[in-house]
Amino acid sequence: MTLTLILEQAFNGLQAGVTLFLVAAGLTLILGIMDVVFLAHGAQVMIGAYAAAAIAAATGNFYLGFLLAIPLTFASGYLLEFLLIRHLYRRDHMEQVLATFGLILFFNELIRIGFGPAALYSDLPPSLSGFVEILPGTPYPVYRLGVILVGLACAVAIHMFVSRTRIGAMVRAGANNPEMTAALGINIKILFRLIFATGACFAGVAGMMLGPITAVQPGMGEPLLILSLVVIIIGGIGSVRGAFIAAIIVGLVDTLGRVFLPAMLRLVVDQATADGAGPAVASMLVYIVMAVVLIFRPTGLFPAKG
Amino acid sequence: MRAVFPAIQLVIDGIRDNRLLWGLIAGFALFPIYTHVADLPFWNDVAMRIMLLGMAAMGLNLVLGYGGMVSFGHAAFVGIGAYCVGISQFYGITNGWAHLGFSIVACGFAGLVIGYLALRTSGIYFIMITLAFAQMLFFLFVSLEAYGGDDGMSVDRGEFGFIDLYDPLRLYFLIWCALALVSLTLMFIVRSRFGVTLRAIKSNESRVEAMGLSPLRFKMVGYVISAVICGIAGTLFASWQEYVSPDIMHWTRSGELMIIIILGGLATLAGPLLGAIVFLLLEESLPLLLGAVAPAYAENWMIIFGPLLIMVVLFGRGGLTGIIDRLSAARGNADHKADPR
Repeated sequence: MTLTLILEQAFNGLQAGVTLFLVAAGLTLILGIMDVVFLAHGAQVMIGAYAAAAIAAATGNFYLGFLLAIPLTFASGYLLEFLLIRHLYRRDHMEQVLATFGLILFFNELIRIGFGPAALYSDLPPSLSGFVEILPGTPYPVYRLGVILVGLACAVAIHMFVSRTRIGAMVRAGANNPEMTAALGINIKILFRLIFATGACFAGVAGMMLGPITAVQPGMGEPLLILSLVVIIIGGIGSVRGAFIAAIIVGLVDTLGRVFLPAMLRLVVDQATADGAGPAVASMLVYIVMAVVLIFRPTGLFPAKG
Repeated sequence: MRAVFPAIQLVIDGIRDNRLLWGLIAGFALFPIYTHVADLPFWNDVAMRIMLLGMAAMGLNLVLGYGGMVSFGHAAFVGIGAYCVGISQFYGITNGWAHLGFSIVACGFAGLVIGYLALRTSGIYFIMITLAFAQMLFFLFVSLEAYGGDDGMSVDRGEFGFIDLYDPLRLYFLIWCALALVSLTLMFIVRSRFGVTLRAIKSNESRVEAMGLSPLRFKMVGYVISAVICGIAGTLFASWQEYVSPDIMHWTRSGELMIIIILGGLATLAGPLLGAIVFLLLEESLPLLLGAVAPAYAENWMIIFGPLLIMVVLFGRGGLTGIIDRLSAARGNADHKADPR
């Protein structure tokens, strides 16, 4: 019973972790390479989720919704960089916070006008709504397992791309020292736009995959945005590897903490106190981890800047 | 006269140099006369919200504008101040002065702890760690079921002795007095050696350090003062709203405070108050305007407000006080001096 529960929750934590990584991977590069505090990354998650849900509802095909939504989120990221973000590169952080905060308000309201304030719920195709036994006697939803696999596949692809390809080398050079990279004759403008659009695309994929698990509603990306900021800070700004490790840590700590911390507290203090403090501490746990990391390593676990 | 009352002379000089700020504060003192004559009691409520938000923004401006520390979590201090009312009443303490006292102590302590940890970092890391601490407190209050959890708790207005806050005008003038006192305090802080050092740290921290001063100590003191001011605003806000919930410390509230400061003008005394006026007037009028043009979309005023913010960032250098300064400079008004920067 307990082993089953632990395993199940560990898988849930892993699923939360890989989704977080998809959001954080783009954001860490946007923060690290372009030095832009981009708060509207959560809106990309929302756009992806709505695009997939709307196309799936219109065509009746879940997979088609997924496939068509990917180029859509890429295009929206590309456009956004072209229209607004490139004007923010030379601005200070506070102005970037403000402008992208304005973007959040705009996108949330746009979605509210287009789709109404209520949450959309999308049904899974029958092929994805079953269970598999990950261990004898431990069933786990196929869909969530699929999310973990897609997320891990994306992580491997991003890793291979960043560490093995020529453009990846430019990206790493950009994270380490943008001015020098530009001085070496690399077209940093195009590089920035592509990174931004790709990051938006991965955030969109995270949104699409979360759609059937959670409610698709205006502002749905914001909790994810805040958590992915925590991930980026723990992992080190600009480091994709750091983002992956930190995302898994945050996903596991958050999920397992919420389930097991109240029970663990009960061993130390009396039940009433544990029941009161357990959920409170559990919901703060991620932020406590981040504060501790920052106190001992003020630039995160894997700082990218040399 | 000058020799006998140097303090009074200082106040007079300060008021003369900050006409815009004290003009606005005087305007708030006279505003209830207008609402009484025009029979618009609702606008007293709006004015109180403006004063409270303006006060919190002024507190944040000390670190954000003058100190150059981009704190993205100051709503947490407003929230702590507000919960000081709720939690004290939960344990039967109804005295408003006590609420204010608790709020000052609690926010000072929280500011000390968060400042001590957060000020080791800078740049994006500082923005994020302040945000993280605010989120931590937000989720703490969401999960504290004893104090209402997610739903919050309704509170009675604090008892301020002879000042009965259920008389709307007395509440109004209590808030006004707090605003005036906070403004006066901040005016002295900004003009003091401490304020000058804080601004020097903003422009070049290592140079200040080379002069033998400890920047961290100055930043800490500034951070604590600004936390306490936000807490006072929060305490009064709870009494005004008669309701406290974690929503008051949601991260978007911290964003709103930043918006107000940028809108009004960074590192100016009048800026936050001016920004609060414009922010809340937009919040009140945009739905009406939108309702007149497209009645179905009156609720969706954020669709205009969001791009408006982006415009302010892209084109509105220096905020409203900057525009006012430029206008009066263009008129050749030699008297008008900008707030000390």
